[in-house]
Amino acid sequence: MAVSEPQVTFWYGCNMTRHGEMVRLTMRLLEAVGVSADATGGTASCCGSPKEADARINGGMARRTVEAFNARASHQVATWCPSCHMNMQDFMAPATPTNFETLHITQLLHQHREALRPLLTRAVPARVMLHRHLGFDSRVPVNDCVAGLLAMIPGLTLTEQPPLPGHMCWSLGNVPGALARGQRETLAAMAAQGADTLCTIFHSCHREGVGLERHHPVTVKNWVHLLAEAAGWDYVDDYKTWRNGGEVPAAAQQAAGEVVFDRLVVPELRKAPLV
Amino acid sequence: MSHPARLLAESARLAAACTACGECVKVCPMPAFAGLPAAEPALVAAGMRAVLLGQPAAPEGVAWVAACTRSGQCNAACPERLDVAFMLRLAGMRAKGATGEAPLVAVKGDAGWASRVKAFARMTMTEEEQAKWL
Repeated sequence: MAVSEPQVTFWYGCNMTRHGEMVRLTMRLLEAVGVSADATGGTASCCGSPKEADARINGGMARRTVEAFNARASHQVATWCPSCHMNMQDFMAPATPTNFETLHITQLLHQHREALRPLLTRAVPARVMLHRHLGFDSRVPVNDCVAGLLAMIPGLTLTEQPPLPGHMCWSLGNVPGALARGQRETLAAMAAQGADTLCTIFHSCHREGVGLERHHPVTVKNWVHLLAEAAGWDYVDDYKTWRNGGEVPAAAQQAAGEVVFDRLVVPELRKAPLV
Repeated sequence: MSHPARLLAESARLAAACTACGECVKVCPMPAFAGLPAAEPALVAAGMRAVLLGQPAAPEGVAWVAACTRSGQCNAACPERLDVAFMLRLAGMRAKGATGEAPLVAVKGDAGWASRVKAFARMTMTEEEQAKWL
């Protein structure tokens, strides 16, 4: 019997490798709603944005990634990272013709939400503030898509703060003082609304947000974590544990490579929270 | 068309259509959020347009380009219906010297980016997942 080709390529991006469990849970969500998918990410399928100060390198990386996607059988590429998504629309597809549709993973899962609903049987008793940004939402209604998915979780109460500037926390982090201000405003909004849990949408917001747990009485989870809990699926947010002082197991250190771990991983994990 | 050539062509096309009226600057949340000094919106927009063209630009315009976080509120405000967010993205690349000019802003390089991305993959994914997903 012929094996059918995956319908969707889940393009999780490069910096999502910090959050292997999010990729794993997203793939499980896609499978659960009947969408066959392959995942791809890391440096080999980069959109080019890390090298945007050099248009020649940036363009070469972008072209290579589009050509790799064109060679796949899937007709849809579902993004996670808003930078990847915007790069695809603004630079990559206009330069290299594509044979696929680009959409965001939250759109895809929202489209299939009725297939997801019966799986979300476990109560998640939390008062959750959805961490929203202005930027990407003007292209893809990602804030509403995630809110719609979270609204299906029994026991969960959703609150929202006015969206922060930027398309994700990474962009605020590039402007002096902006990320710290955004985090202070988020904490103030959570306190005002009695929220105990901050729900991140994007990886960079999660990466920067988990440190809030160190000095503030809040829990930081991603939307896929909350859906997984409602479905009764186990997961471990290793990055949050490590970022908040938890010991990195020897096996993980060895996997990273001793020199790379000491020079590149430890400085990030030991970075002090901004607020 | 090469990527650098396309950046230059798009920059020129959009700069020619921009009237530097400053409506995009007025609705941008970043000047207040980032504490930029108050400046005349039209002057700021003209500075951004100059960056797009590789011309000498007012510092206020360069600062606005550097403070862009892709909030996207500018597009709806443009009376010419230009994709101002894209203009700012292009201007940001030009300001970083992407097409070979001297950078106007500090470029925050990350020489360890690729090694870090790969290291975290090895730390958080199984070998089977790495084989399938990287």
